[in-house]
Amino acid sequence: MTKYVVRRVAQAIPVLFGVTIITYLILALAPGGPESRFANNPRITNEVRERFLKAWGLDQPWPVQYCRWMGFCNPDVENPVVSDAPILDHVPNPAALLGPSGWPNFLPEPISGSSNGVLHGDFGFSVQSGQYVSNMIARAALPTFILAAFALVIWIGIAVLMGVYAAIHRYSFFDQAATVFAYVGFAMPTFWLGIMLIFIFAGPGLNILPAGGMTNTRLSPPFGSEAYWAYFGREPVEAVLDIGKHLILPVFTLVVVNIAGDSRFVRASMLEALNQDYVRTAKAKGLPGRAVTFKHALRNAMLPVLTNIGLEIPFLFTGAIVTETIFSWPGIGNLTIDATRNFDYPVLMGVLLISSTVVVLANLLADVAYAFVDPRIKY
Amino acid sequence: MTETLSTPAPLGAPPPRDVLLEVRNLRTSFRVLDGVVPAVDGISFSLRRGQTLGIVGESGSGKSVTALTIMRLIDIPPGVIGEGSEVWFDGQELLSIPLGKMRRIRGNDIAMIFQEPLTSLNPVFTIGDQIAEQVQLHLKVSKKEAWDRAIEAIRLVGIPSPERRVKQYPHEMSGGMRQRVMIAMGISCEPKLLIADEPTTALDVTIQAQILELLKTIQQRTRSALLLITHDLGVVAEMVDNVIVMYTGQIVEQGTVDQVLLQPRAPYTMGLIESIPTVEKRGGRLSVITGVVPSPFNLPPACRFEPRCPYRWDLCRRVEPDLYPAGAAGQLARCHLHTPEGEGRRQPALEAHKVNMTAGRAFGKSR
Repeated sequence: MTKYVVRRVAQAIPVLFGVTIITYLILALAPGGPESRFANNPRITNEVRERFLKAWGLDQPWPVQYCRWMGFCNPDVENPVVSDAPILDHVPNPAALLGPSGWPNFLPEPISGSSNGVLHGDFGFSVQSGQYVSNMIARAALPTFILAAFALVIWIGIAVLMGVYAAIHRYSFFDQAATVFAYVGFAMPTFWLGIMLIFIFAGPGLNILPAGGMTNTRLSPPFGSEAYWAYFGREPVEAVLDIGKHLILPVFTLVVVNIAGDSRFVRASMLEALNQDYVRTAKAKGLPGRAVTFKHALRNAMLPVLTNIGLEIPFLFTGAIVTETIFSWPGIGNLTIDATRNFDYPVLMGVLLISSTVVVLANLLADVAYAFVDPRIKY
Repeated sequence: MTETLSTPAPLGAPPPRDVLLEVRNLRTSFRVLDGVVPAVDGISFSLRRGQTLGIVGESGSGKSVTALTIMRLIDIPPGVIGEGSEVWFDGQELLSIPLGKMRRIRGNDIAMIFQEPLTSLNPVFTIGDQIAEQVQLHLKVSKKEAWDRAIEAIRLVGIPSPERRVKQYPHEMSGGMRQRVMIAMGISCEPKLLIADEPTTALDVTIQAQILELLKTIQQRTRSALLLITHDLGVVAEMVDNVIVMYTGQIVEQGTVDQVLLQPRAPYTMGLIESIPTVEKRGGRLSVITGVVPSPFNLPPACRFEPRCPYRWDLCRRVEPDLYPAGAAGQLARCHLHTPEGEGRRQPALEAHKVNMTAGRAFGKSR
């Protein structure tokens, strides 16, 4: 098992390298670039534009840009920093293993002679705000995790219950109703549902829920700031209730649109299990219906469902772009959209790279979990 | 070996004590999109305590559905049990008792062994779990004791080092081992009746012989009755006392194994036996029953075997034959040859069958 995990992690490294190259290439070949944000600004002269390109290294061919972003080579081409510090002195120091913003540094300066680039735990700066990309991502991760975790737990819980019940009572009224609900949920665009919910619950009529955001900014400082945590310490109940109120609509949106597919999947899987020979054997043994369904059939039906859930875990990090945008949720999805709109390539690359890492890890996690529940799988 | 099948008692009254299982006028059909398929169409038979009965017939003849109906494992709907159908087991009519009571009989008094040992065992539980589960359920013993009994059952079916094997999963065993496990599961509660539905069909030939030998030993040791369902006449010859031959959901012939295999009286049985390849017939063409099994939606109007029967005459298209006494005592055959109208044709037909069979062949228990 350990060997298998190590091998899979090792395999993930070339995959992630491939991802960085492809995403970087796509962005490089796409029309426009970080300088496009000046396109409609008459005060930006060509000279200023050139200076901007040079300052961000955008005047270089894309392989050079890529290597600098990754940290393979020193970005300061004119005055390369070559460290003459002895390697061994630095390695035991744990601080050397962290980049400037606290992310893992795979190539400490004494070895590589430089300190910026992804491999040094440095995702660069946002063109838009000038902040560390890693800090921006870290700040957006918590809201996304809160939203996604609530949505994921609720929708998977409901989908499993619904699917299993529908499979046991196949063609019953409940099953038919669940089928209709699933089709409607499938067909309904997320943005439409979100806007309708805002219209109904946050509109002038009812006006019982906030239309967007994560906290009430009139009551509390912006989420994630130091002032906010101070406020959270002072008024924990109020703060949690406030976030809870803001969570209802986006969570409901995510649950409705995602429950459909998953409940159908669980139903199909359960139906298949119920038709297996071993279920007939269990009945022939004289087991009561409950034991047959919930022990013999359900355990088998959950195997494919578990894989499916494993593949949904990255959602916890990557977030739901459309839902976060509609409800102005300050998460990764919102960050991604903002970065895309503003040609903020460093932020975009950071988000894409971390998302891919999470996807790769979640796949591994699903495979490992599978070995625990299915005795036929051995690694 | 001259013992005959007892004639079913009139509907409603329980059969005599020595009859363990009595099926009366059993009809099971399935509602499908195109209509109703009669899978079992009015069959009656009985089985005494400790005896063995074989049901033979080709795929779709209703053998398995008969067994599943006895166990009440047919889903209703789409299944429909015909009115007047009765299954008497050990003094109780199974089709009318509540499901809860039926569950106490399943696995406890009647155990069933299925055809596919791989898919019939649950892949995510150890075989010990699966056997002990049944023991604990019916014998109301502690977990520990159930587990010990599971080990004992596995030892009984000849699996080496049972203490280690109980902790294994079905996928860690070969097909023959899995079928042994199924048998161990079947006998774990010492049932009065063991139903084996094609127990050797999914196994390769060398293993088949071992499993049959095991079933026979187990049956003799536990003195349970055995209902063996198979399409293999060779298996029947070795294993059972009495035989029922089924065709399109009906019994076409019944009698002792010697009667049915050595002196078949129904043309369908004759055809079946003639079509078995033998060493003596090597090099010649295999004899076949011409035509195909009729579709259940489009059965012949009277005798269902008539279109394929070499001995048919006009009566067979007009009047549906019943089971008539034929040949030796107790033997029954569904054919007009054994009515007064068929008197003149009977002898030539039997002669023709004799000619078709080569001398010195067939089912001596010498194999």
